[in-house]
Amino acid sequence: MNRKIIKSKSYLYDEKIESIAEVPEKELESLPLNKDLKFIGKAIPRVDGEEKVSGTAVFTFDKTFTNIAHAKTLRSPYPFAKIMSIDISKAKKVNGVLKIITNENSPEIEWYGDYSKLFDQTVRYEGDEVAFIVAETEDIAEKALSLIEVNYKELDFVTNTLESIKDSSPKIYNKSNIPDPGGHANYSRGNYEEGIKYSDVVIEREYSTQVAIHNPLEPHCTITKWEDDELIIWDSTQAVFSVRDAIASRLKIPASKVRVIKEYMGGGFGAKLEAGKYSVMAALAAREIKRPVKVVLDRREMNLAVGNRPDSQQKITAGAKKDGTLMALGLTSHGGMGAYPAGTYVHWPLRSLYKCDNIESNEYRTFINAGRARPFRAPGHVQGTFALESILDDLAEKIEMDPLEFRKKNFTSIDQDSKLPYTSKKLMEAYDAGAKAINWNNRKPAGTIEGVIKRGLGLASQIWWGGGSPPAYATVKMNRDGSVQVLCGSQDLGTGTYTIIAQVTAEVLEIPIESINVLIGDTQATPYAPSSGGSTTAPSITPAVYDGSLQIKKKLIAGASAIMELPTDELSYSQGKISEKKNKDNFLTNSQIIRKIRERVLVATGARNQNTDKYAINTFGVQFADVEVNTLTGKVTVNKIVAAHDIGRTLNRQTLENQFHGGVMMGLGYALMEERIIDEYTGKVLTTNIHDYKMATMKDTPDIDVIIVSETDPLVSAVGVKGIGEPAMIPTPGAIANAIYNAIGVRINSLPITPDKIITALNNRG
Amino acid sequence: MRNFKYLQPENLKESVGALSEKSIPYSGGTDILGLLKNNIISPTELVNLKNIDDLDKIEQISNGIKIGALTKLADIAENDLVRNKFTALAQAAEQVGTPQLRNVGTLGGNIAQRPRCWYYRGDFDCLKKGGDICYAEIGQNKYHAIIGGGPCHIVHPSDTAVALLALNAKLTTLSPKGEKKIPLKDFFILPEIDQTVENILSPDEIITHIEIPFPSSNSKSGYIKSMERGAWDFAVASVAAVIDHNNGKINSGKITFGGVAPIPWHEEELDNSLKGVSLSSESLIQLSKYALKKADPLEHNEYKINLTRGLLVELLSNLVG
Repeated sequence: MNRKIIKSKSYLYDEKIESIAEVPEKELESLPLNKDLKFIGKAIPRVDGEEKVSGTAVFTFDKTFTNIAHAKTLRSPYPFAKIMSIDISKAKKVNGVLKIITNENSPEIEWYGDYSKLFDQTVRYEGDEVAFIVAETEDIAEKALSLIEVNYKELDFVTNTLESIKDSSPKIYNKSNIPDPGGHANYSRGNYEEGIKYSDVVIEREYSTQVAIHNPLEPHCTITKWEDDELIIWDSTQAVFSVRDAIASRLKIPASKVRVIKEYMGGGFGAKLEAGKYSVMAALAAREIKRPVKVVLDRREMNLAVGNRPDSQQKITAGAKKDGTLMALGLTSHGGMGAYPAGTYVHWPLRSLYKCDNIESNEYRTFINAGRARPFRAPGHVQGTFALESILDDLAEKIEMDPLEFRKKNFTSIDQDSKLPYTSKKLMEAYDAGAKAINWNNRKPAGTIEGVIKRGLGLASQIWWGGGSPPAYATVKMNRDGSVQVLCGSQDLGTGTYTIIAQVTAEVLEIPIESINVLIGDTQATPYAPSSGGSTTAPSITPAVYDGSLQIKKKLIAGASAIMELPTDELSYSQGKISEKKNKDNFLTNSQIIRKIRERVLVATGARNQNTDKYAINTFGVQFADVEVNTLTGKVTVNKIVAAHDIGRTLNRQTLENQFHGGVMMGLGYALMEERIIDEYTGKVLTTNIHDYKMATMKDTPDIDVIIVSETDPLVSAVGVKGIGEPAMIPTPGAIANAIYNAIGVRINSLPITPDKIITALNNRG
Repeated sequence: MRNFKYLQPENLKESVGALSEKSIPYSGGTDILGLLKNNIISPTELVNLKNIDDLDKIEQISNGIKIGALTKLADIAENDLVRNKFTALAQAAEQVGTPQLRNVGTLGGNIAQRPRCWYYRGDFDCLKKGGDICYAEIGQNKYHAIIGGGPCHIVHPSDTAVALLALNAKLTTLSPKGEKKIPLKDFFILPEIDQTVENILSPDEIITHIEIPFPSSNSKSGYIKSMERGAWDFAVASVAAVIDHNNGKINSGKITFGGVAPIPWHEEELDNSLKGVSLSSESLIQLSKYALKKADPLEHNEYKINLTRGLLVELLSNLVG
């Protein structure tokens, strides 16, 4: 096991992420192409599929103990208020109430940097935490909640992003709602003014995107249990190690005394990347009442308090030459963070997706009295791509160029910031494959379709990172019977992490999937692996699993060599057996080798390789939408989405398609129906359930055609896989919006494109 | 949610006897459970109607059809007689909610369900709940009434009631005072009469049957609904129609609207203008302009006028095409 310590670099947005990591000293030999493999790339059913469909899989939501206590959170009913007093005397008397925590009896724990506390005396959005009640049952906790008397002093509030930046608007922190520093980001390249000047056509458009809520099926939930001074937390999380470290530091106990476990999870989409206040509150309460405490957020809390994709109010100016050369792109954008700091910027696709020498972008993020944003499946990119791809279509129309040709004309083979080539960019192949599958040649000019129901085609491209990085480790253990356990500090969001780990191990060791047991999502049992966000899980951990499995194989061969007294190059490994190359009958099984070398368990820990610094690592793709619009009723039907992407190697065709289907449906919901709506007069959210907050249903599901144009990306890792969770969603809304425009010839510049907007736009046109 | 007593009467008479000001009847429960859990209503007694025999039948009677109020929406949507002769009702029933909701939700409950206004359902002390203001009047009123509203601006959420109104249905109700027959058109009440309720049922009264007369033999009926997604959405607007036509012209008909007013909406003038209308799309579009002429939309819902007229054109085209 030869290792070296390196400084690992990877990129996410403007951030150059550097971490010191231990990586394999030598580059590993790349896996052959999928056609020569037995497990990888195949549509292997999920290893946990049976448990899930039979209902025996225990999600955090399902976890319980006989002496468990249940907690509920009292949240502010006002968007902005000062808590003058809290009277818990009536609530305390309710039979079965075990503990009530408020700002009066809680340790002071900072939250959202130093912007707030675990229990703050000022509440800054409807849903901000006020008190925490632990009781024998959830019903008792809820009843007691209603008996807490809080005296609030209501303050003037602002919930609208563009209102919040006006001088006259209420200030959430007694100074400008755009924090300074930190509230403004500028990016420029080339000479934007010149680019505009030398353009033949210049257009300017405004776009507005809504606030969207993650709403995973499994709500945020946690169980905390103390065993002496050790705290065990079962958390529905995308990041067991982040949650562990955050909670340990907040409770001022060693990280080694906190164990975070997450076995199965019903989705996170970015909302579960951080430790929740509820976990810390539950831990505090559990320590006092000496019983495990469970807290499960309800759907209302999910829609108020655990994150969202922030809105964006974008103004874009774009200039091009008549020959289709993109000359300049300018962006001014505002986004509402919510009441506490969060990212809202959307300029990245505009800056990186197409070749454009002259760029000027100014973005502002502002505090509003509403739930705080969190990362949400390709933060910024979904909003930015919708606006960019909309204006590019308008520009293409102005210069009378086919939208697809226009994009091909402005293809870039290098990353325009670093000037590095990409490890792989098969976007041209994706354009051709996708255009063929959607019959792009049948596309008619916008607004020329006759009849009440008009059909249109549209496209949007995608760029994302998704290359993964070290540090990420996986420990592979082979038992005497030849069965294998893989331990990795990653977690399965429902995307199939268990399955792909087993596949990689099975491939290297040539053993049945059934003989492999994967343990992930447990900080105490596994080596470190990163949070599952940014589409980095598969590209970060599978090379470590590959490395660990290869090391086991090497150990077995070395063992066999000693036992058989033959040099290793005269031995070959096949299907769990090592035989003499010249005499196949002279062989030892893995099991025999382990017995003879008198070990009970062979152990090796694999590590993710260092990232290349000679190339930029990104994923690319294009999606084409085929839609029908009923011009009488504004109803949009998405007939088909073709998703053609370069995502490196496909590990599992079934889980890959699952992720694409999920991403496309989430994109479709965002394009056509999802929206958090706030009553501007009271500052209260109206869409606090999943009937009023409309997500797409089975009946909205189009045909989804997934085309993967890449075989592998060996410059990323020996496994050659890149992430797909976010790429799958990024282009969907832009493609649908462009298809709607193509159908009806009227542009809807604000999402979601609901029937009322279509009817109004058609009506205004006359 | 406040605790309540769960009463399980064995028959119709006992059920009606158990009902009072402080109780609420419960059958499919798809609406009641939400109302209870969100603390919109807090009855002290829940009266289970599911033990009542024979209220879940669909039977043909001499001049039409008689449907028990406890009949599941799914059974109505699948019933051959309903599909053939009362198509609008079958189409309305099959567009309610989701299969899960239709499998438990009943016709009586669908007619008597409470509105979906997000202020009424949310954490707002609104007019309908005894408060002082209708938040929707100046607030987020995209889904609210464009006609018949004020001082409360809800829309009636039922799909089936819109179809039943077009089909001239009559309700049978029972209370300790006895049985009543109420034409559906007299069942719903506007907020200007009483904004706290949507119909004339008294607290101790339940719907037992719905009777619909056969439409004339050469007529056709249908129901069309606008939703913002493919399923599990209440009507943004909807239209039911019963149309009698021959030789390319409409003889007579009845048109009703949902999602636009606090009650299922009917405009007699519109029905009167149906006679003689030719079935070309131009004349149907012309006809649709007579619908909702007195609409008085709020800030965010003017689109509903065109939407509803568009639905009307589409429905009539489907029916006569």
